[in-house]
Amino acid sequence: MRALVIDDSRAMRRIVSSILIGLGYEVRDAGHGGEALDVLNEGWVPDLATIDWNMPVMDGLQFVSAVRSNPAWRSMTMMMVTSESEHTQIVRALAAGAHEYVIKPFTADAIRDKLALLGLLPQEVVL
Amino acid sequence: MTVFETAERRRVGDARPVITELIDGTTVQSIAEEAWISLVGEEEVLVPLPAELPADVLSSWVDVVGPWTGSVVLTAGRQTAEELTRALLRESAPEVLEEEDVVDAFGEIANVVGGSVKAALPGQSALSLPSVGTSPEVRNTADVCRIDLTWRGEPVSISVQGALPALPVPHDPHP
Repeated sequence: MRALVIDDSRAMRRIVSSILIGLGYEVRDAGHGGEALDVLNEGWVPDLATIDWNMPVMDGLQFVSAVRSNPAWRSMTMMMVTSESEHTQIVRALAAGAHEYVIKPFTADAIRDKLALLGLLPQEVVL
Repeated sequence: MTVFETAERRRVGDARPVITELIDGTTVQSIAEEAWISLVGEEEVLVPLPAELPADVLSSWVDVVGPWTGSVVLTAGRQTAEELTRALLRESAPEVLEEEDVVDAFGEIANVVGGSVKAALPGQSALSLPSVGTSPEVRNTADVCRIDLTWRGEPVSISVQGALPALPVPHDPHP
């Protein structure tokens, strides 16, 4: 399985990537939504994208909307991973097309549990 | 915890709240502890023990804009900021940290703490991207909620501070 980790913080990209690699994912990353769209336009469409909300150039919500407007990327599961934790923000992200929402700070177990709910744990780590 | 209270404190009926009416030090500390456990490590403990910050400090902060407008500022000695960066990056920390690594990691901690502080405030607010450098100045000493902690024996402070100066005290024509 493939995952695209989108976050403007290099440290956060490393943390999320490390969790996903540990779960058996092949991971690429991007520093904002625009870079992430470049990856998709290359033809590297992941099973999962983890998406920060507040980023320069193109924020997470704009990225979600852009992905949802392209039928070729419909199979991709989008999980917001963000410090935006108000209920209204969660509703906005889900309404825009995100499938799941993880609030920072999070634990590796929280990511793993969300992926299990989404059926996105690689076979070898399914409990 | 230090909550600054001065005569500049707003009067009842003013439209603009100060932070001490919206959040207390215990809540900020609890937010910081949760962020530390998640980002820095499960074994990492923030101790509510004030200590004097060294001369060479680094601050990271995010701005909150909404019914209350201000900044959530994390301040530590530069050496502590580097240690925090190593703890955050764990095994992926480079042997020699670059300034960019410290700015990024230290900023992300402020971002996570600031996001949780924003969520604890009433109403809708927007959060800025993190900044790192010299802390923004305190504009109104009544509009500050600051906690002083230690991590691995080194001082760390978190200040939730208003961005606006104190409201003028109106002249009472009938004293």
